[in-house]
Amino acid sequence: MLNELLFKFASWLDTFQSSTDLHESLYMYAWVETTHVLTLMLFLGMLLVIDLRLLGVAFKEVPASTIVERLDKPMMLGFIIMVISGLLLYYAIPVRSTQSIWFRIKVILLISAGINALLIRNMTRSSDMSWDNDPVPPKRIRVGAALSISLWLCVIGVGRSMAYDWWDCKKELPYFMYWAAGCVEEMAAFVE
Amino acid sequence: MDLVFIFEWLDTSLLAEFSKSSSGIFALVQTVHIASMVVLGGMIMLGDLRMMNMVLTKVPSAIIIENTKKWIYLALVFIILSGIYEASAIAMKLAHNSFFFAKMAGLAMGIAFILSIRSAVYARAPGAAAQQEAGSGTQQQPETVSPMVVKLVAFTSLLIWFSVASAGRWIGFS
Repeated sequence: MLNELLFKFASWLDTFQSSTDLHESLYMYAWVETTHVLTLMLFLGMLLVIDLRLLGVAFKEVPASTIVERLDKPMMLGFIIMVISGLLLYYAIPVRSTQSIWFRIKVILLISAGINALLIRNMTRSSDMSWDNDPVPPKRIRVGAALSISLWLCVIGVGRSMAYDWWDCKKELPYFMYWAAGCVEEMAAFVE
Repeated sequence: MDLVFIFEWLDTSLLAEFSKSSSGIFALVQTVHIASMVVLGGMIMLGDLRMMNMVLTKVPSAIIIENTKKWIYLALVFIILSGIYEASAIAMKLAHNSFFFAKMAGLAMGIAFILSIRSAVYARAPGAAAQQEAGSGTQQQPETVSPMVVKLVAFTSLLIWFSVASAGRWIGFS
């Protein structure tokens, strides 16, 4: 059901001339992807600094709250541009992206990383921050930071894997893989 | 100077034989390359933006620069090692790719810049020099450079590394 809906949505996006134009443009697609990579560097770079401080492995002399609060703006700026450029990349190739197992895993990982970030934020806000000047923060904060780095590392890996056609719908795959990737036509053919 | 012979040698090396045989490992190495780029970019940006008085202005710049240093070197080692592995798989394609040569020139320039001008100027930035003097306990007046020069160096550093990252992305499009 969800697979059909997503496929219909992607097919609808694919009917727009601007989607095709963006995908086939000589320079625009490359520039959007370059922007995506550069803002990934800004967003994840700043997030890494925050996570390393919360892990207690770098910037130990600086209060954790200072790092978190002061790097929030450049990090969010990178995040917003990264999301916009990411949406444009999806818009340029909607059907293949929707039917990519890697893209689906990436979305799940992004949601998980977002939830983890909110949990860390809530944990730091609800605590009395008595550990603010401690070189090594409490264990629960460190676990959150380690999870954050791990999740984003997986996002990079999965995002990179989207370029490969290992499990594309056109390939002969087990039914489960067709379902997981949302290959609705191949699923129908499989049942027949 | 014709450098094709280097690519020919790399293309026939044992490393190339291995890198061409597994796309899974190649994707994994690409992930390491991008992750290292994020570490390098993040640390460079933090240092440069601090020197431009745009972030963490209340934290002494010397602390920021000192903390970023080892991460920058570590990231550079991983970038170069993973980059050599990636290049071995497509050596002959890279031999005629102008963006690859642009990236290599930028990378060499970036490393030379970090080791020379950037570190020398940042160590002599007004705040950093004063802190070094306090740390060493000497009475000698530290030699400082103008804040404008510091900002110019920070901007140049950002420009170099953003160019390297962009050129790297464009290798795949050419």
